[in-house]
Amino acid sequence: MAQYFADIFHTVSSVLQGMGITLKHFVRKPVTLQYPDERWVLPERFRGFVHNNIIRCNACLGCAKACPVSCIYIETEGKGKDRYMTRWAVDFNKCIWCGFCVDPCPTNAISMSHDYDHSLYDRRRLVYEYVPPDKPVPCHREKRLEMGYFVEEKSAGEGAEQPKPRAKPAPDPAPAAPPAPAPESPPAGADRKGEDQ
Amino acid sequence: MVIVTDVYQKILGAGASPQVLLVLGGLTMALVMALVMAACAIVFTWMERKVAGFMQSRYGPMRVGHWHGVAQPVADMLKILQKEDIIPAEADKFFFRVAPLIIFLGSLLAWAAIPFAPGFVAADLDLGLFYIFAVSGLAVIGILMAGWASNNKWALYGAARGAAQIVSYEIPIALAAIPVVMYTGSLNMNDIVHAQQGGVAGWFLLRNPFLFLAFLIYFICSIAEVNRTPFDLPETESELVAGYHTEYTGMRFAFFFLAEYANLFLVSCIATAVFLGGWQNPVPGVNVAPGLVFVVKATVLVFLQMWMRWTLPRLRVDQLMYVCWKVMIPLSLVCVVGAGIWMMVLGQLAH
Repeated sequence: MAQYFADIFHTVSSVLQGMGITLKHFVRKPVTLQYPDERWVLPERFRGFVHNNIIRCNACLGCAKACPVSCIYIETEGKGKDRYMTRWAVDFNKCIWCGFCVDPCPTNAISMSHDYDHSLYDRRRLVYEYVPPDKPVPCHREKRLEMGYFVEEKSAGEGAEQPKPRAKPAPDPAPAAPPAPAPESPPAGADRKGEDQ
Repeated sequence: MVIVTDVYQKILGAGASPQVLLVLGGLTMALVMALVMAACAIVFTWMERKVAGFMQSRYGPMRVGHWHGVAQPVADMLKILQKEDIIPAEADKFFFRVAPLIIFLGSLLAWAAIPFAPGFVAADLDLGLFYIFAVSGLAVIGILMAGWASNNKWALYGAARGAAQIVSYEIPIALAAIPVVMYTGSLNMNDIVHAQQGGVAGWFLLRNPFLFLAFLIYFICSIAEVNRTPFDLPETESELVAGYHTEYTGMRFAFFFLAEYANLFLVSCIATAVFLGGWQNPVPGVNVAPGLVFVVKATVLVFLQMWMRWTLPRLRVDQLMYVCWKVMIPLSLVCVVGAGIWMMVLGQLAH
């Protein structure tokens, strides 16, 4: 008999205890992040979409060889100073975002950006081409300087100089912001944020 | 309803016979109550999702309708109207079609006797409270029809359990309402509300400790009547195995849901009218519309029901039956006797 009343009392008190907990949660701010309007601040080393600063790339094929799924496609023509890169592409259908391609790069051309939310309607557009089909990029440093591309200093900051074509390689070509010769942004190029085309 | 019949009298002129006015008034009030039920479904589904969200540390609907998802129920309604209406091949077609309507009817009929404001009752019945408890039982027929006509053994189990639950819990509900009738001396809902004058101290809830216990019993049993967690085994069987409304799709399913949310508000309204003072103003000085007072009180009780839903685990069917027959009924009988003795000792007999 006493057990009967003890049970009732226990039931009621545990119900009230539970309701107290839910009430506490009710008045707290929810933990949800409202995604398109609010985003996480990403750590510096976050591995997002692979980005290639094509004017620094010299087609050494280091990234292509390092990639575990062979998703970097590089095609070149010519030899020596006349070597041109006709295609540099990343196939994001295959990319596993491991970041192995970043380490071998001798010129710090390739990096992983903080983008993660590109969305498209067609899978074929996930192959990002960084070299325009009609403007192959010269691979050799001297050729670039002759042609008006210029090579950014590895350690220098940004500037806004004009290209200075010279006969001999200048010891310290002026570092500058990405110039006009840099490919008109490839269809799914570098810094868009998740926009479909 | 007098207001409505007066309006019709003015429209039709002096020659209208009282029967015609009665019929027209009745039809209008039935339409109004059906709209109230639809409004309940819209408002309370939104409220349920938001309350559930915040209690689970998340937001609930946020995008549909710009401010915290207020248009979400509208979107859901449009979606459900577009669904295919499937009737199982071996189902009993007539009963399958009729069952949702009977469940809806059981809810709609009970709205007739709820006093929203002084003079605003669809039907001023002298048997108001008794009528409400009686027609709540119609839902049992609908549930059994739905479970049987689905041609699905799991639906039948769910329906049988649901029917047993509703029929069992009607007893403590009625018993818990008896002390109130003892105080008022009448079953008329308007009289019950009028007897609770005088601000918060006049509420039946606070006049008598046995009435407080009666309110708790009434509230818990009414949650069981409307199949809400923790007593929702008949319908969540549909999440686990199958419940009585498994085979229903689209608008037919929407009828079940409409009836559920309307019932939610209905039992809150009854509890408000009977125990919490109905449309009587809790603070005597302030001048507030009685209808608004009533709706706010009922909404607080709805929030309480939602709070319980998102806190408590579900009761197993044998636990459910144990609670009804071995806890609720004895306690409600204690309430009846105790309230009577209290009244006699303190000289508060109804006049």
